[in-house]
Amino acid sequence: MKAFANVNPRDVKDAAAQLRQPNAVIVGGGSDLLGMVKEHLVQPDVLVNLKAIRGLDQVSAKGAEVHIGGLIPLDSLSHEPLIRKSYTVLAEAAESVGTPQIRNAGTLAGNVCQRPWCWYYRNSFPCFKNGGNKCFSVAGENQFHAIFGGGPSFIVHPSDTAPALVALDAKFRVAGPSGERTVPAADFFALPKVNASRENVLARDEVLVSIQLPRAGRGVRSTYHKVLDREAWTHAVVSAAVVLDMDQEVCKSARIVLGGVAPIPWHLPKVEAMLAGRRITPELAAQAGEAAVEGANALAKNGYKVPLTKGVVRRTLLGLATKA
Amino acid sequence: MNTLNQVGHASPRIDAQKRVTGTATYTGDIRLPGMLYARVLRSPHPHARIRSIDLSRAQALPGVKAILTRENCDVVWGSGDTRNKRYLFNNPVRFAGDAVAAVAALDRHIAEEATRLIEVDYETLPFVLDPEEALQPGAVEIQPGGNHSPNNRGERQPEVYRRGNIEEGLRAADQVFEDHYTSAHVNNAQLEPRVAIAQWEGDKLTVYASTQGISNCHTEIARDLNLAPEKVRVICQFMGGGFGNKNQCHDFDLMAALLAKQAGVPVKLEFTRKEDFLSVHGRWPTKQYYKVGVKRDGTLTAIQLRGYSGMGPYRKGSGGIAGIEIYQCPHVERSVTQAYTNIAVSANLRGPDYPQGVFGIESLMDDVAYSLKMDPVDFRLKNMTRKFNDQTPYTSIGLEDCIRRGAEAFEWKKRWHAPGAGSGPVKRGAGMAMGSFFSSMGRSSAVIDLDSRGMYHLHVGVTDIGTAAKTTMALIAAEELGVPLEKIDVIWGDTDRCPYSVGESGSRTTTHTGYAVVEAARDLKRQIAEKGLPQGSQMLTATANTNPAAPTAARYSFVAHFAEVEVDTELGHVKVVKYVAAHDSGRVVNPLTATSQVKGGAIMGIGMALHEELLYDKATGLPLTAGYYGARVMTHLDAPEVEVLWIETEDAYGPFGAKTLGEPTIIPSVAAVANAIYNAIGKRVKDLPITRDKILGVLA
Repeated sequence: MKAFANVNPRDVKDAAAQLRQPNAVIVGGGSDLLGMVKEHLVQPDVLVNLKAIRGLDQVSAKGAEVHIGGLIPLDSLSHEPLIRKSYTVLAEAAESVGTPQIRNAGTLAGNVCQRPWCWYYRNSFPCFKNGGNKCFSVAGENQFHAIFGGGPSFIVHPSDTAPALVALDAKFRVAGPSGERTVPAADFFALPKVNASRENVLARDEVLVSIQLPRAGRGVRSTYHKVLDREAWTHAVVSAAVVLDMDQEVCKSARIVLGGVAPIPWHLPKVEAMLAGRRITPELAAQAGEAAVEGANALAKNGYKVPLTKGVVRRTLLGLATKA
Repeated sequence: MNTLNQVGHASPRIDAQKRVTGTATYTGDIRLPGMLYARVLRSPHPHARIRSIDLSRAQALPGVKAILTRENCDVVWGSGDTRNKRYLFNNPVRFAGDAVAAVAALDRHIAEEATRLIEVDYETLPFVLDPEEALQPGAVEIQPGGNHSPNNRGERQPEVYRRGNIEEGLRAADQVFEDHYTSAHVNNAQLEPRVAIAQWEGDKLTVYASTQGISNCHTEIARDLNLAPEKVRVICQFMGGGFGNKNQCHDFDLMAALLAKQAGVPVKLEFTRKEDFLSVHGRWPTKQYYKVGVKRDGTLTAIQLRGYSGMGPYRKGSGGIAGIEIYQCPHVERSVTQAYTNIAVSANLRGPDYPQGVFGIESLMDDVAYSLKMDPVDFRLKNMTRKFNDQTPYTSIGLEDCIRRGAEAFEWKKRWHAPGAGSGPVKRGAGMAMGSFFSSMGRSSAVIDLDSRGMYHLHVGVTDIGTAAKTTMALIAAEELGVPLEKIDVIWGDTDRCPYSVGESGSRTTTHTGYAVVEAARDLKRQIAEKGLPQGSQMLTATANTNPAAPTAARYSFVAHFAEVEVDTELGHVKVVKYVAAHDSGRVVNPLTATSQVKGGAIMGIGMALHEELLYDKATGLPLTAGYYGARVMTHLDAPEVEVLWIETEDAYGPFGAKTLGEPTIIPSVAAVANAIYNAIGKRVKDLPITRDKILGVLA
């Protein structure tokens, strides 16, 4: 591991200022970053330690909204009663991440901003994510790569909480040296055709400080379904974050966002429109599954994700709609 | 079978408390005064010639104390290759991970930084990853003389076994089945990474090792470093697993010793997990082509196997493909070719030749049974081996009972059904497979000292690789001596304090060293009868150097495993929901730890069946899935409850009739799961591992 300095910022503004130092990076829980430093994937001179700032790990109700500090550990988030009850999809997504050790250390903001787990990137191939100008998966081992939104990089976004937050229509509070801005969750993530080297719009000197969830309506129910390659500790092969606003048995509106299939959380507005105002029957759920994979572009080895996605969308919808 | 007082009763490990409370000192825990830390620079290319190495920047880094490269070190690592000269540092480098240099420094960060400052000028060479492609004309030559690794007789020919006449057997068949299977390179994935600490006191070298055999390690270090045996001491007090890739002495033992010599202080060399996966060895990947001839009534007439094993660029293991010997059949031909490839080295991993071969033959035999409309259990009962190679009687054989009683405990008749039956989308299926494993007998030794306080000091050169060998040895001694277990004080894991013991590979420790313990105890009893118990400062010492054999019979352990899986046919997800393992390992010395062995082996096999593969990028020849995350090694949540049945045959050999156990546990596991998946979905995946993409692929 390369030697680096650790700085403890006074507050968020100071953190943003510290990030302007050459080769400085943010560290929250460090569960992924430190491994990447050891692997020389990241070679920082300065770590800006957000844990030094108090109060960034709290969940609080502000009027009808809920604010979640970005530094909350995933395990705490998943056990927070308010989140569990009214934003189930987020609690379930948080508890599906990694292992208990990772969830104890890893934070919400860290999970949202996690770098890809593409095996080419993680094995230091000179790809777009490592400063190169090639995606090795295109002609290589692409069984876990994108079927939507790919090109020129075909990574899939690794976060479980990100699809949940997009599905919940969350807003991200981002702090920079000149102040703060609020970015809708859906606009936070960026496709590789916009920027192939990064996954979101965060500038080098910006910090994802907190996340705001809108009021949860009375008829809203939600869930996160994650397909893992073993029973624990893999990123999503395919996942679905689904939020339904139900009036008795009729779906007033739906939000469906997929994980594991695209370089960003993959929002399905067309499928949502299909469901609005209708009773979610097995037939409709199956149609939704079909519609979910419209426009999918499989590579040589990830074609299985197409039927898998269909199945996940159909089952998750039906399961949630018919949940007692 | 007669009941014994100690042997056969469940006994917790004598060191269990130390292990679970963190007070056991594993090799990695040892810190010597002034100790340096070492790191290895490894090839980033699958095949390259080194034009030059520039050490100047690394040497200039403060804290760097010693550097080894091929320039200043031409030591040959004898156990690293049984056919070619494999140096500690090779040029050309032949796989991504081949060692280029080793650095010792004040701490591990400096050592690592120094490896990054070493400038290596590589001329990259063509590479080949697949064993069959490596044998094609025009393939790049990985070792002088070509990629066909020589067989046991030194010929560049396949290893061949024949009985009867295969053509005759195929002609005699009513039906001939033909199919092919592949298995992947999987890593041993033991918990404890490689570590060695070397210390010189004058001209005497002590290596604190993590080894599956202090005696082998000792002999080989002395040989490779050209030292007199008495000038080498190997110590391994607690060991964190190896599953076959810590047999012998390893390059890191030698590197640590040479760095320590150069630096004049002790050196610790520890691998990262990724290094451990890439640069030691895993199980050889195979390609298997079978033909099986069968009569309408299910009688086998012919079995033919043409197989290829990819050994990596060095020949460290047998590269065999076993499994067909479990069938009685008049005409058999097995031809296996070992090829050099530019992937990670392949050698021993729990039952080295077996689980992949049993996966192949048991997949095909399953298809034969289904095709003949026979229950796979009945088909195996009809065709299972009765004599070794249909010739030599076994010392004992409980295979039929393993199958019958296993099937009963599993409720086979209830769980097994027509392939693919069930309305889905989640389908259940049942599968089984069988196997055998050579139950070795042979050389080992033991010493017992009895003092006047009535303590029996048992010196055995075991290290206990997780099998509870220390406890086993103590139980055997207590049984034979007729004393309580607490009276046995085991001294182990130190070549200066223990006699020779066979390496803890081939599942031999109980049968070899346990037998020596019995003989030493008998000698001690004779001495007591003759001289009386020792008084005051007196001591009695008994020794045994044993080398038993069963001259007219074959000694084997037998096993049948039964698995039930749930396959989600829409999501491609497989979960093993029921598992029964029936084992004939003769008398079971310690049912508690023996059961753990079976559970561990079965679960390891399930991981090999469903997940694990060291996957390579074809274009660059570089690995993608090294490490626990990438290899998808089984977690606790993946592990089913494994029900263990002991079929304790009476066997005239071994300590109290114990046969071998550790390795048979993984042998039929992969195939049982594969056959259960077939039973569930009615489609067969013939390439390991059976991952989601393949399941959804055959179902599409």
